[in-house]
Amino acid sequence: MDELELLKKDWQKREADLPKLSYDQIYKMIWKKSSSIVKWIFYISILEFVFWAGINLIFNDPDSIQELKDLHIHKVIMVLNVVNYAIILYFIFKFYNNYKKISFTDSSKKLMQTILKVKRTVTQYVWFNLIIFTTYLITNMYGVLLYGPEGKEIVEAASRDGNSTVFWIMVIGISIVFTVVILFLIWLFYKLLYGILLKRLRENYNELKKLEI
Amino acid sequence: MNKELEHRFVTELENNQNIVHKVCSLYTNDKDAHNDLFQEITVQLWKAYPKFRGDAKFSTWMYRVALNTAITLYRKSKKRVQTQDYESVINKIKANEYDDTEEKRLKLMYDAIKQLGDIEKALIFLYLEDKDYTEIAETLGITEVNARVKMNRVKNKLRTILNP
Repeated sequence: MDELELLKKDWQKREADLPKLSYDQIYKMIWKKSSSIVKWIFYISILEFVFWAGINLIFNDPDSIQELKDLHIHKVIMVLNVVNYAIILYFIFKFYNNYKKISFTDSSKKLMQTILKVKRTVTQYVWFNLIIFTTYLITNMYGVLLYGPEGKEIVEAASRDGNSTVFWIMVIGISIVFTVVILFLIWLFYKLLYGILLKRLRENYNELKKLEI
Repeated sequence: MNKELEHRFVTELENNQNIVHKVCSLYTNDKDAHNDLFQEITVQLWKAYPKFRGDAKFSTWMYRVALNTAITLYRKSKKRVQTQDYESVINKIKANEYDDTEEKRLKLMYDAIKQLGDIEKALIFLYLEDKDYTEIAETLGITEVNARVKMNRVKNKLRTILNP
């Protein structure tokens, strides 16, 4: 294609028209903060970790241990706590490891792959938290309904009217709908957040990957 | 970071800054965006510099970091500029150097390149910089065969844009 050859010649001639920065101008630049996608993902991830750790702390204040014992769910919650913290530590470790691997001197494909991997770790972390949070909620509800003072009244009132099956179906039904709605909203939020943030990157990555098929 | 490293880096970048400006002019449409991208590439180059062993040429290593930054940088998806933007460096062709038709053709070609996707731009850029397929493939992380295939597709795409 001779048009491209013409272009190549012109391209190489154009160097004189390019801007020229001085030593001092460049020197000032090296201390500025990065605004790359990697930084964004890093900040968002830190927020995620802090946010979910905060949720955990709020819902696990020491005052309520006696309450948990009264509700007969103390042991289950303790096991959940151990599992929860172990997995959170694992995620932080994995996140840090993957994050360290991001290198702009890798090939474009490898770089995008590592960035997407970091993002995937954070998404997994969020899903894990949602699941464990839901498990806490269900365990609590179970405890309250079976052993809590108000719960006993509600259950007794329901069985007095003779339709305790309907009552339990309603309880389970409402919980499921509630959980699904919350999960959907959170899913939507992340879809939008990362959708906007990583749209270009994903498109570029897919374009390179497409070649391989 | 010690002073000597800073000095060496800034000097090398100063001498090779054309590469970065060229990447910026391909991937941005106005002066501010150009400067922003230059700034970001400089930060990424500096961050990666301590790991630069000098076994590759500084410029070769720069191509990679500069293109990677351009490809992965988050920007609000501005509509690709269709109107001719005379601010842009890429369009600054000195009229007296060419006859009218040649200048027009070049102008059309530069505009066509601006309409390409990020990866396609990277390929054309490396082609214009006279890089061989081994280096193109290594920079993008694809095989040499795929680099050739993709390059032909991009060239065809350019042809279609130029001769609709």
